[in-house]
Formats: sequence, C-alpha cells, structure tokens
Amino acid sequence: MRIIFLFFVSVLFLSVSEKDRNKKKVAKQIKSVFEIEKFELSTIIVDDIIKEKIWDEFNYSKFKKIIHNDTLIGYSYESKAPSMHYEFDYLIILGLDLKIIDSKILVYRENWGGEIGSKRWLKQFTGKGKEDRLKYMKDISAISGATISVKSMIETVNVFLESVNKLNQNSVL
Amino acid sequence: MKKFNLIIVLLLASTSFVFAQNAAETLMNKGQGLVLGGYGEVHVNLPEDGNGKVDVHRLVTLLGYNFNEKVQFVSEIEFEHVVEVYVEQAFLSYALKDNLSLRAGLMLIPMGIVNEFHEPTTFNGVERPGMDKSIIPTTWREIGFGLNGRVDDASLKYQLYLFNGFKSSGLGGSNGIRSGRAKGAEAMWNTTNISAKVDWYGIQGLKLGLAGYFGDTNVDVNTDVPGVGISMIGLDARYVKDRFGMRGQFVTTSIDGSEEYNLAWDSDLGSKMNGWYLEASYNLFSLDKEEKLDFFARYSNYDTHAGVAGSLVANDAYNRNVLTTGLSWHVAPGAAFKMDYQILGNEASDENTSVINFGIGVWF
Repeated sequence: MRIIFLFFVSVLFLSVSEKDRNKKKVAKQIKSVFEIEKFELSTIIVDDIIKEKIWDEFNYSKFKKIIHNDTLIGYSYESKAPSMHYEFDYLIILGLDLKIIDSKILVYRENWGGEIGSKRWLKQFTGKGKEDRLKYMKDISAISGATISVKSMIETVNVFLESVNKLNQNSVL
Repeated sequence: MKKFNLIIVLLLASTSFVFAQNAAETLMNKGQGLVLGGYGEVHVNLPEDGNGKVDVHRLVTLLGYNFNEKVQFVSEIEFEHVVEVYVEQAFLSYALKDNLSLRAGLMLIPMGIVNEFHEPTTFNGVERPGMDKSIIPTTWREIGFGLNGRVDDASLKYQLYLFNGFKSSGLGGSNGIRSGRAKGAEAMWNTTNISAKVDWYGIQGLKLGLAGYFGDTNVDVNTDVPGVGISMIGLDARYVKDRFGMRGQFVTTSIDGSEEYNLAWDSDLGSKMNGWYLEASYNLFSLDKEEKLDFFARYSNYDTHAGVAGSLVANDAYNRNVLTTGLSWHVAPGAAFKMDYQILGNEASDENTSVINFGIGVWF
C-alpha cells in the first residue's frame, strides 16, 4: 500500500505545464542545430497562385525563414501527420541548399508507434533535398511495431520536399 | 472435396469483410474525440487426423476517446468464437510530459512480441505462435497502473507497471499458468506483481526487447490453499531489411512453490517453463508494390514441464515442437489472407501430426 501511495505522489511532481511547448521545443532545436543563442523566425509570403500548385495541406503559417544576425541561415517547418488513430506534430529544418539538416517529432499522441521519435531513425532524412522521393524499406528503414507511423512520416516528408521543390521553381525559396 | 468446397466458400465470403472497414474510417476524426477501430480473424483449421474446424476466432472493436492533448481512453472489446465476450483493454492514459505517460486500468502485460502486437496482420501464421498460448498466456491482460515512456536520444522505450497477480486456481497442465489469468473480471487483488519491459531500436531495422514479470499468485485470505511465485523473463528480437524479415523470442518462467501447490490443488504445475521460436520471412513481391506476399518458416519449441518439483514426473507430451511454414498475402495495409502448414510433435511420441490452416485478418 505504501508503495502505491509513494508512486502517486512522485507522479504528481512529474506533471509539467504544457503551454507553448512546441514553440519552446522548436526554439531549442534551432539553437542546437545551428549552434546559436538567438534567432528570429520570419514569415514567408506565398502568392495564392503559387499555393494552387502546391500540396493542399502545406502549413504555410508554420513555414518560416530562420534569421540570425540579420542573415538568412535556413528554414523551419512545423506540421502534423497522421498516426494510426491520431496525429503527431513534427519539425523539419532546411539548410540554404534546401536539404533537410534536422527533423524532430515534437508531440506523439498515439499509444504505440512513438519509436519514430528516435534521433537515430530520423537521421535517415538528413541530407534529403527537394529532388528526393523516399521509399519505405529502400531509403528509410522500418521500425517493428511502428509501421503505420513510419510510412506516414515518409509520405509526409515526400510531399513536403515536393512542395519545397515547387516553391523553389516559383522563386519563393 | 467437401473441405475444398468449404475453403472456396469461405474465401469468397471473406471479401465482404474487407469492404466493411471503410465505413469505420468515416467515423474517425483524427486527434479529436471518438476513436473507432478494430481487428478480426476468421480461421479454417484442417488437421490431418480429426475434424476440420471453422471459426470467427476474434472480432475486436477498439473504442477510444481523446479528451484533450494529454488524456486518452483506450479500450478493446472482443468477441471470441462468436459467443464469448471479453474486454481486452480499458485504460486511461495521461501524458505527464512528452514521451512519458501514466496509464491505469486493464492493460496488456508487456512480454514477448505477440502479447502487445497481436493484431492478425502483424504476425505470420493463421494462429498465434503456440508458445504465445502456453508460455506467455496471450492475450494476457490485467488491471494495474504504471509508466510508459521513450528516450528518443537513446532509441529506447520502457514500460513499468504494477499489476494484479494471477489467480491461484487452475494452474498446470499443457498450458501452464494460462488459466490463472484474471482478465479484470471481478478479480481478487491480494498481491501486487511487477512487470517491466525495455525495447531498443538503435540499429536500423532491428528491435530488441527484454521483459520481466515477477510476483505471487492471488490467494484467498479465508483459505489455507497455497499459491505460487512466478518469475518470467522474456527476450525478443525483430529485424526487417528490404524484403527480408526475422524474428525470435525466448521466454523462461520459474515457478516457486509448485510442489506444495500440486499437493493442495491436485495439479501438475511445472516448476519451470521454457519456450522459444525463430522465424524468417521473405516478401515475394517487389517493394514498389503496396501488396506484400510474405513466405515464412518458423520453428518453435516450448515446454511447460521444463522443470518439475517434488515427486511430479515431467510429462514429455508437454514438450512440444512446431514447424510452421506458409504465406501471408497482405492485399492492403491492414488486410491479409493467410495460409500455413504445420507439423506438430512432442517428446512423448515419435509420430508427428500435421494441420493446414487458412484465415483472413484485418486491422483498422
């Protein structure tokens, strides 16, 4: 009985505030990737005519330029992708060459499949650029017990890279 | 001929089951509110000797609710063999922080591969591996609470729970502790058991699991009848690379107090139970195709009398081996036709028996 009581008391201390958690995580990731202390995120304006050529669900509001010391150093993109019954939030950071330099799962809600948050697994997306279209098992390895989320992340990165390609072709990037 | 005609009828009838899953998808609104899903299996078992059997082995509804970003309820309601109804899972999950959740309710014990991942399209073979019935008593679920978390930097997932223990009645025989599952049905809780598992996936395509389960069975405080102490350790591995897959599992269980138990309950519970299997599979289709055709072969050995205490003589018939080979045709993600051929033997007999199995499996 004492063990159960102590367990619940210790659990209460582990619960933390969730306000703006994604914003903090994104900031921490950008600082870590570029090894900088300060930066700003700047909106990228995309014409409606160009938007029509691009993936309907592209999250323009979360596609930003990363500015450090008044210089553009890269791009940050946040969005959601489906897992089995829910959605997960992810972040992709692009370099100036429009290749992925980092990716991270910000929030994973499903009870299973969260293994896609593995840093080592996500490294497989690093270096992929606007011309790449990734194939499950061939380019990106499987994770047993997380097949649906693995495929979802691959598909979402593919449509993202295709969108980046079109934005580049239309001189937005 | 009769059996062949029956197979054809069942295969044709099964196609309607595949279409039905689309209706369920329209009820789901990802990330919000009600979540609906499920899985199902229909089996045909044709032994070399004896009667063939057809069965809607399982039909399970996943019913969940997403209260908010942090709180989810997950439940699975199962119909087995058409007439039996069970609850397989019913727990509340609360995200304490990213990658760490508190769970409480009726949950799956994390041991081996199939007990947690038992949807029919996630394993080869029509039936679940034999050791996942006799050694790990799948589907093994009990009421408890605990923590479930991940360390993304280390490619590690961990689970730690306190569960209600097994019942003390009905243990023994070829299925070991299987009859001791309380399943959350007005179960006695006089002993608390510990369950823990760590999964590591730091090498691309490979996942290793190490699990432990420890505790005593529940004993009625108003009686003198003894229970036993259970210590179970499980190791499992899965590897997938291109079209090739492998998986393996080894579980050993020590049962403390089996001699006194057998005297009191007039049973034949072993003091040690071991089981293992090794499986290889190959996708015969190109990776460019959405459909998969996995050819597989699995060898398994499991024994509920790997050790016996006191005057109990080990029953060699409980030392079983099974060779299974077959095909799993995944026609869509979450829908498969399956068939396999099994050769079953045991140490008590020089003769083996065989059975052909057919089945369908869906998961959505």
